[in-house]
Amino acid sequence: MLMCRELAGIASDYIDGELSTGRRLSVQMHLMMCRHCRSFIGNLRASTELLRGHSSARVEQSVIDRINHCVTEALSHRPEAPDADPDSDR
Amino acid sequence: MNAHPDLDESRLVEALKRGEQAAFTEAVSTYTAGMLAVARYYVDPANAEEIVQDCWVTVIDAIRRFEGRSGLKTWLHRIVANRCKNQLRTSHREITTDFSERLEPELDSRFKASGRWATPPKLRFDESADALLENGALSDCLDKHLGHLPENQRSALILYEAHQHKSDDVCNILDVSASNLRVMLHRARQKIFLMVETFQETGEC
Repeated sequence: MLMCRELAGIASDYIDGELSTGRRLSVQMHLMMCRHCRSFIGNLRASTELLRGHSSARVEQSVIDRINHCVTEALSHRPEAPDADPDSDR
Repeated sequence: MNAHPDLDESRLVEALKRGEQAAFTEAVSTYTAGMLAVARYYVDPANAEEIVQDCWVTVIDAIRRFEGRSGLKTWLHRIVANRCKNQLRTSHREITTDFSERLEPELDSRFKASGRWATPPKLRFDESADALLENGALSDCLDKHLGHLPENQRSALILYEAHQHKSDDVCNILDVSASNLRVMLHRARQKIFLMVETFQETGEC
């Protein structure tokens, strides 16, 4: 039988649908009986959703400005036929 | 929210390929945050900015060979990751991470030896995420705690949640196994959970 501590350890996998069917059913059985774990899963899910709605990786405008300045400089010196570059989306 | 993100991205890519400055300004504003999250996984913050800046200069020419097999964001993130990995190889540094424990010590201490809760979750977050974020103080607190996360957890969380990458992409970009990614994500989420719980209960960050 799954214990609360064990459930807390796999809570993210449950939220993201990463558990096997058997394991998921064990979690669901436990959640039917344990309001504390229902609360934990609900709160962990809410915390996760907070991040999706949050501009989590804010960057200082000065950094953006510095990079833009650099790119503008490089564009103005752009050669007609650029050298080959190893980066591709392959 | 944009109803046709793919259409907009393909327009942006075409403008980047033509070397339009306005397109680069837009792309730098849109994608730099994610690129920095990737770089900071591998190197220190100052070095990360330098690498991302170099990558953008590289992109001016490399974008001509972008064929859209992956999204622009994923392509940019991979360029940064490859650049960082090369630098790490040169400096013979390695990323060290503890993947042995799935539970944060602060959360772990809230269970009895029997495995049941000794100190269960105190509050129920009934509000939606949007409603919670309308509280500016909570939003600032979230920023602060994200900034204090270990870099590996922060990068994993930002790429997976904020940038909505698939697990496979995150594993590829950060060079970690799927199981290790699961641990990083879970550890980071627990810290955010504990932060929100404290904030909701005490109003303190």
